[in-house]
Amino acid sequence: MTEAKEIFVRLDRCMACHSCEMACAVAHSAGQSLYTAISEKPTPKPRLYVEWVAPDRAVPIVCRHCEDAPCMHACIAGAISRSPAGVVETDADKCIGCWTCVMVCPYGVIGRHLEEHKAYRCDRCPDRETPACVNACPTRALIYQSATGYSRSQRQTASRAMLAGNGG
Amino acid sequence: MAMEGKRYVIVGGSAAGMAAAETIRRLDPGGSVRVLSEEVDAPYFRPMIPFLVSGKKSPAEISLQGCGPYQAKGIEVLLENRAARIDTGCAQVVTERGESLAYDRLLLATGSRPHLPPGIGGVSSDGVFALRSLADARRTALRAKSTRQAVMLGGGLLNLKVAFALLECGIKVTLVVQSPEVLSQLMEPADAFLVRDALDQAGLKIITGRSARQILSNEDGVNGVVLDDGAELACRMVCIGKGVQPNADWIDPRQIPVNRGIVVDKYTRTAAENVYAAGDVAVTFEPITGAAIITGLWTNAVAMGRCAGANMADRPTAYGGTFGILNATQVARMPFVSMGIVHTAGTDYETHSRSSPGAHRKLVFSADGNRLLGALFVGDIARAGLYHTVIREQVRMDDIKKQVIDHRLHYGHLLCARRYS
Ligand SMILES: Cc1cc2nc3c(=O)[nH]c(=O)nc-3n(C[C@H](O)[C@H](O)[C@H](O)COP(=O)(O)OP(=O)(O)OC[C@H]3O[C@@H](n4cnc5c(N)ncnc54)[C@H](O)[C@@H]3O)c2cc1C
Repeated sequence: MTEAKEIFVRLDRCMACHSCEMACAVAHSAGQSLYTAISEKPTPKPRLYVEWVAPDRAVPIVCRHCEDAPCMHACIAGAISRSPAGVVETDADKCIGCWTCVMVCPYGVIGRHLEEHKAYRCDRCPDRETPACVNACPTRALIYQSATGYSRSQRQTASRAMLAGNGG
Repeated sequence: MAMEGKRYVIVGGSAAGMAAAETIRRLDPGGSVRVLSEEVDAPYFRPMIPFLVSGKKSPAEISLQGCGPYQAKGIEVLLENRAARIDTGCAQVVTERGESLAYDRLLLATGSRPHLPPGIGGVSSDGVFALRSLADARRTALRAKSTRQAVMLGGGLLNLKVAFALLECGIKVTLVVQSPEVLSQLMEPADAFLVRDALDQAGLKIITGRSARQILSNEDGVNGVVLDDGAELACRMVCIGKGVQPNADWIDPRQIPVNRGIVVDKYTRTAAENVYAAGDVAVTFEPITGAAIITGLWTNAVAMGRCAGANMADRPTAYGGTFGILNATQVARMPFVSMGIVHTAGTDYETHSRSSPGAHRKLVFSADGNRLLGALFVGDIARAGLYHTVIREQVRMDDIKKQVIDHRLHYGHLLCARRYS
């Protein structure tokens, strides 16, 4: 079995352009296009968030699909489970909107559809080769890779930087 | 010589018991896992039973095995099989049917049951319920069919959930609350106004500062409740929601110490060899002060059950404890999250309360202002889990206090605050 891919964030690259948020919202809209998404009700919402830390840092925050997912274990409705691909999924039919998952998520990445009274989260775009946010990122601050592949490329980048005398 | 698999026996097939069973199955595939349950129903998500009363869910839809994290095969659940006693000397559980189950590891996960306050007469009449099990919910649903008026005694979360289920059935519901305001365990009266408004608007009738003295009945069962001021409320159903008490009475305290709940160490072990306890029946602790507490929380039962399961499978794992208050819910369109210390009257905690239209929050800090101890969010509960983490991990406030008070904290702040790892 091939190792499942995850979304990794390269903090130093994010320019806070919010393209990922936009792409995410569109990918999770009924019409699948920016033009239709704007007028859709309820308004399509992004499932990752680009936040700002003063004075100058942008931080994209996306569901980690945690190994010991606190949301999954806390859910009082059995609505959250892990797919064979390692994605932590919320089953909207089972969700009763008690927000226990919101209370225990250490990243604050579980959203609430107020109209439908359901929790929602990153689903890693199951119908796409690469999640929409990753595709949309112009600076490649978001990377879709297996954990092993990602740490290998990180190590290579670090050693190249060292060879170039740039430090870390 | 062939290796014999370890024999795991679990008493109680709910949050703690099934979370432990799941963990054991994963860590020790060679062992046998047997779960004794006194209930007629296979394990289910207990907090979901009000949906059975309202008719929004069927028993099959709230069943536990195969849902969420409960995916393991090979867990043998023995229903309608109540454990009568433990023979710790012979390492056996004796059931009420007279069978003996030998164990290498035993988990006591018998949970809790409704507490029925002694001062109320007539609680055994037909039509009086204290909702705890799926069987209770079935009986309540049946009675609800012929009920036009119901009286709920107690203003806690359980009763509010049941009250809404009954309202959805078209029943007129009166909630009688002894405290000055509803949800007094989860928030102070001054913080409850938004929830109260929402409940009032939803059509729930609430009487505060009163308790029931006598439940009246005739050949049809319940037909009224007399309050302590003499007022009489006509009804065909009474629900009692006055807290819970641990199911520890069947334990022989000379073998296994009981202090209201079963006493365990940090590794969820009781004083008896190879015997563990977890969930509502166990005494747990508050992570910051270390104080011993008993809780009625699904989250605690699951986390403690998983921890016990790991320990039973010889993976030593310390339990981290739980806040006594750790509740999220939504009643009548008003979501709220209450966690940690949220009662501040008469204390010297540094408290910041803010209200805006449709939202109210209260952040409670230590007296020196350096640590967050509790948080209450009503209306707007966004990113509540971050505050949970901040309280639990005792994150220093230096860089983030303003964001905490303003309810604008996000993960980026924690990531960039150096002291957080
Ligand atoms: C309507 C409702 C809503 C709730 N909502 C929430 C919520 O939103 N959030 C939250 O955190 N918590 C909630 N709770 C509380 C939560 O359900 C409990 O804290 C949790 O179920 C405790 O799990 P447990 O495994 O420790 O025990 P229990 O769920 O009580 O299960 C113990 C089991 O053991 C069985 N048993 C007892 N004695 C024996 C014996 N001698 N032999 C065999 N079997 C035995 C019992 O019949 C029971 O099946 C709610 C509870 C109810 C009733």
